[in-house]
Amino acid sequence: MTELAAAAAFEKADQLPDDARAPLRDLVLALADSKRVLGLRYSDRMLGSPTLEAGIAASSMAQDEWGHARLTYALLGDLGDDPKALEHERDAAEYRCMPPLDADLDGWNGMTAAALVLDTALSAQYAALLQSRYTPVHNRVQKLLDEERFHFQYAAAWARRIAQVPELRGGFQAELARYLPGALRWLGRDEAPGSRRLVEEGIVREEPSALRVRYLAKVGPVLEEAGMAEALGVIRDGGEWTCTVRSDWSGWDDAARRAGGSLDEATAARARGDLNRALLMD
Amino acid sequence: MKEPVYEVFARKSREEPLRHIGWVNAMDGDLARVYAWKTYDEQNWSEMCVVPRSAILPIDPEESQFVTAARDDHEDEIVHSTGTGSYGGGDVAGKEGR
Repeated sequence: MTELAAAAAFEKADQLPDDARAPLRDLVLALADSKRVLGLRYSDRMLGSPTLEAGIAASSMAQDEWGHARLTYALLGDLGDDPKALEHERDAAEYRCMPPLDADLDGWNGMTAAALVLDTALSAQYAALLQSRYTPVHNRVQKLLDEERFHFQYAAAWARRIAQVPELRGGFQAELARYLPGALRWLGRDEAPGSRRLVEEGIVREEPSALRVRYLAKVGPVLEEAGMAEALGVIRDGGEWTCTVRSDWSGWDDAARRAGGSLDEATAARARGDLNRALLMD
Repeated sequence: MKEPVYEVFARKSREEPLRHIGWVNAMDGDLARVYAWKTYDEQNWSEMCVVPRSAILPIDPEESQFVTAARDDHEDEIVHSTGTGSYGGGDVAGKEGR
């Protein structure tokens, strides 16, 4: 057993080293906000889906994402935040969702690309928390990842289908090209001090570069089967999948996992529940 | 291109026999599994399976609910796909699929 694996668990956030607590809070908030907004984006696509079954599944996936968001926001209570305020009181500029989610999903191509490329990146990051020494997060992740297996199957099957339709292929590949760099970048930088401390403490079990390899090993074969991997710069190098497109880190904020930009105010209003705010209960 | 029909079977415990609970239209087995799980989720199933309707051979086709007139124009043709099993079948944590 490694020294790290044998190390005691952190049962509560106040047991965390000071310089690990803030980056953990940053990571959990980025995950929660991304799940919240992804659920909204999925919900926008569930009407007008290609088939009734596809719409029902999209609706269920939206519910899953909102459930995951709620579960993840709840973790922030232990990290010094008021989860309810985070969910209902913030301006759009304060949301830390994955940047590709700032805009609507463009039709079924966008829905499928987001489910394949963005949702899977979130799952890769959650999976690195599965064996976390921070017990509250470790306890919540397995069920979430079990549900995400269905999201991936759904995305992979629709990617295969769209790739067979000549009039849709180009648009789908364009959506993938739009999302993939953002997803790879969102997984972060190994040299970011906060990220390094989380890995050193066994709170996150894999550094960003390892997450990217595992993420590409998941997404790469689907892109390859769709005949789009090479065009997207995703290649199998020996036994390992890599992406030839280098991430642009200019302006990158490691804590927010963003390089400027913002969620639009209308989407933030929906995320906050502004329409029925009068009915909100303590 | 017509979508095949998949029949959905489920049970709540190992002791129960699998029973027919419905059907879904899906392009392939992978999507049929997702659609079935997401559509028939009102009960706490311990096991759920999907079977291509075309794989069911009724003893008496005249009486069977698993035969449709559409079979004549290949609606029920099985779509073979490598499925997500070929991508490892497990979750992104690297576990093997169940």
